[in-house]
Amino acid sequence: MPGPFGNLFIEMSWMVAFQVSILGFIGGILSGFIGSGGAFFMTPGMMNLGVQGPVAVASNITHKFGKAMVGSKKHGEMGNVDKKLSFFMLITAFAGIRLAVVVMKLLFEGGGDSHSTDRGAGANLYISLVFALVLSLVAISMLSDIIKSKSSNESGPSTKIVDFLSRLRLYPLIYFPVADVKVSLWVIMVCGLATGYLAGTIGVGGFIGVPAMIYVFGVPAAVAAGSELYLAMYMGAFGALNYAFEGMVDIRLTLLLYAGSLLGIYIGAYGTKVVKEIVIRMVTSVIILICVISRAIAIPIYLQQLGYIDLDPAYNDYLNSASKGLLYVAGISGGLMIMFFVSKAYFQRRKIEASLSRGLVKTA
Amino acid sequence: MQIICISRGSYGFSSTLSEQLAEKLGYACVSRESLTDKATDYGIPVGKIEIDILKNKPITEERSINIDLFKSFVTSELCSMAQKKGVVYHGRAGHLVLPGLPNVLRVRAIDDPENRIKTAMSKLNLDRKKAKQYIEQTDDDIRRWVRILYKEDWENPSLYDLTVNAYHMSAQSVSHFLLQVAKLPEFQPTPSSNQTISDLILASKCRLAIGNHDQTRQAKVTLKAEKGHVSVSYLPRQAMEAKAIPQILESVPGVSSFVCTVASTNILLLGETFDSKAEHMNHLIDIAEKWNAAVEIVQLSSDVQKEDEIQASAPMDSTGEPDGGILEENEEAPKALASDQGLTETMNRLIEVGRAGCSHTSHGGVGGLVKDISKNVEYSLIVVGDMFSAKGVAKQRLKRDLVSMMTDKFSCPVLSAEDLKSRYLFGKKQMIGLVTSAFFSAMIYLVIFGFQKPIIKFVSAGQLGGTMSQKIASAVVVAICVPVIALVIGGFYHNFLKMIRLE
Repeated sequence: MPGPFGNLFIEMSWMVAFQVSILGFIGGILSGFIGSGGAFFMTPGMMNLGVQGPVAVASNITHKFGKAMVGSKKHGEMGNVDKKLSFFMLITAFAGIRLAVVVMKLLFEGGGDSHSTDRGAGANLYISLVFALVLSLVAISMLSDIIKSKSSNESGPSTKIVDFLSRLRLYPLIYFPVADVKVSLWVIMVCGLATGYLAGTIGVGGFIGVPAMIYVFGVPAAVAAGSELYLAMYMGAFGALNYAFEGMVDIRLTLLLYAGSLLGIYIGAYGTKVVKEIVIRMVTSVIILICVISRAIAIPIYLQQLGYIDLDPAYNDYLNSASKGLLYVAGISGGLMIMFFVSKAYFQRRKIEASLSRGLVKTA
Repeated sequence: MQIICISRGSYGFSSTLSEQLAEKLGYACVSRESLTDKATDYGIPVGKIEIDILKNKPITEERSINIDLFKSFVTSELCSMAQKKGVVYHGRAGHLVLPGLPNVLRVRAIDDPENRIKTAMSKLNLDRKKAKQYIEQTDDDIRRWVRILYKEDWENPSLYDLTVNAYHMSAQSVSHFLLQVAKLPEFQPTPSSNQTISDLILASKCRLAIGNHDQTRQAKVTLKAEKGHVSVSYLPRQAMEAKAIPQILESVPGVSSFVCTVASTNILLLGETFDSKAEHMNHLIDIAEKWNAAVEIVQLSSDVQKEDEIQASAPMDSTGEPDGGILEENEEAPKALASDQGLTETMNRLIEVGRAGCSHTSHGGVGGLVKDISKNVEYSLIVVGDMFSAKGVAKQRLKRDLVSMMTDKFSCPVLSAEDLKSRYLFGKKQMIGLVTSAFFSAMIYLVIFGFQKPIIKFVSAGQLGGTMSQKIASAVVVAICVPVIALVIGGFYHNFLKMIRLE
């Protein structure tokens, strides 16, 4: 679907605009419910609509900038932001983003294209591979944590890495007062670099930043979410500046994402108040896994375009449709599941409130 | 009876000090270690809590429930002992174990670091370097324990009545000094402190009963008791488990009435007097219903000024020592009961709408009120209601000062009851905001999609062979415009959801 500027930006029809807004809405619900991410659904969703991978990432990271600013302000009011921790991570996160932008630019200007020209497919393949690899690791570790916590009757994330690093004591150790943890500067720098690089590559920094803070630094979950949003605000700003400098931001996509996500985020956030933590983690990991499968299905298209595999181009449409369908299945079923839990909890609450005001109040 | 709490580190002199002081006063001497053993025997995994905190493990819901049970157990034990005779308690967070209880003498005992190292060397058979490291590590662990359990800084001097330093004084001299301090009127039990002790015992017993019941073992509850009335709130997701709570409360001796509320969060309402029909109460209930919040009420005792005066001019007994003005306070009690009418009606109204949280009375003046409010309860909003009515024209200024003071202490929003509507409910201001943000949002979409080609040409200068200055200009414009656009569209949705009461 080439647009006014060759194959760089897509033609914006009413149907495409509607679909991007729906992607934003579902991404917003997932983002509000899970506490981080949303990009794992929106970025591949836009790619399935024909948006070039780097443009999808650039537009999404720009969208994330404004969204994180609003979110971190709310978390800040609740005292959930450790600014010191965010700033330390930011130092190397900037380097990670810059590195990701340079790599992306090189790949984009390299070979292959989804429309038989010479640009795009290399970058698309790279984004899809990183996406599939990183998010399958996240989803599998989340699922195994749920299974382990069920069998050992102990809720909460594993602290093996935190324990290991606290024994290792890699000096200098820095104390973060809001999170109330001491972490090695070296560990922070590595995690910051990885978070920035992944945010710059697939637009999914939160999926690395939040688990890193919880599993590696031992930060409480609420502070991890708040601090990551604060970090994401600066990373988003830096990513937006970098990608805009390279001319890859499609401001129309950013605007359409806002139209959906800023509404969806409220509904998702309400869900976290009424749904059990283990259910939230279970739903999240299943949705991520389906998104990973959806992206993995699209990989042969890019391999074929780059000439790495011999596949009839006629199959590309089928594969693309399957990938797109699966992504929508993940997003819509995830959104519906969240809505189901939210309404179930709401009606259950109403029932209990009614019984309280009738019979349970005992007077002396 | 009197309670003296001594906060100490490891291998200091405070164990000796506490024993000597208790002996001189004829009180019971209780150590943290003995209470920990009792709590473990009771079935609370105190050792596991300590290891989790030492290992820096995240505080999950299960751990937070165990911490809650441990704190309730300690409160119940200490207060029950204090009802029989005076108590000297010593432990790492001695000054924080009985929050909200006035007239407790809270002391910090610090020792010469060299003495502590020497004691650790001899008791643990360590060399000097390791003993020093051990002491430092233990102090770090205590700081963390205090922060996690009580959300306070262990070394914050404002939490202690006084600090005693054994650098130049022996335990004997310090205990003699504390004996004199303990006789001051500020640290004598009063009818209101005795009532608070009874309330704390009842609340702790109810909490332990809920924690002991198979069905409600995992329920995370907020619980308060006052004069036999118990208020419990629990999370909506635990609604099924919490069904057994009324039955459990009925079996606890001393519970005369109770209310259970399912709530996602808590709103705190402060006031001297309450009017259940006041306009701001309607607004508060509207907000509580929207947020699914329980409204907790703290009443600032209207006889507080008199109490202050009584304390300042406390009459002396035959030995020339003040007696704390206990008799005078008794005479004021009927008046206090009369002023409870508005509070009772307000609570009844909250019960009717299913939004009642806990309620209690604060007797320590404005300063005491701020100290009384626990940092362990997560409030989404603090509302300052009818206060300083007797202060005439200074009322508004004093109220504003209180709001500022509370804002400094708590991270949640604090505001005057009169501002509830404009801040959280949909009114004229919000309608103007909705229309304005809708207009600007529409303009943004019209401009961007109406002039797609020139706008995209401008922002994609980096891909279309633009000059360096064009690239920089496009990057700067994107970085400036995007957050503004997010704020405008976000503002529209915020006001729209507020209008349809879906926040």
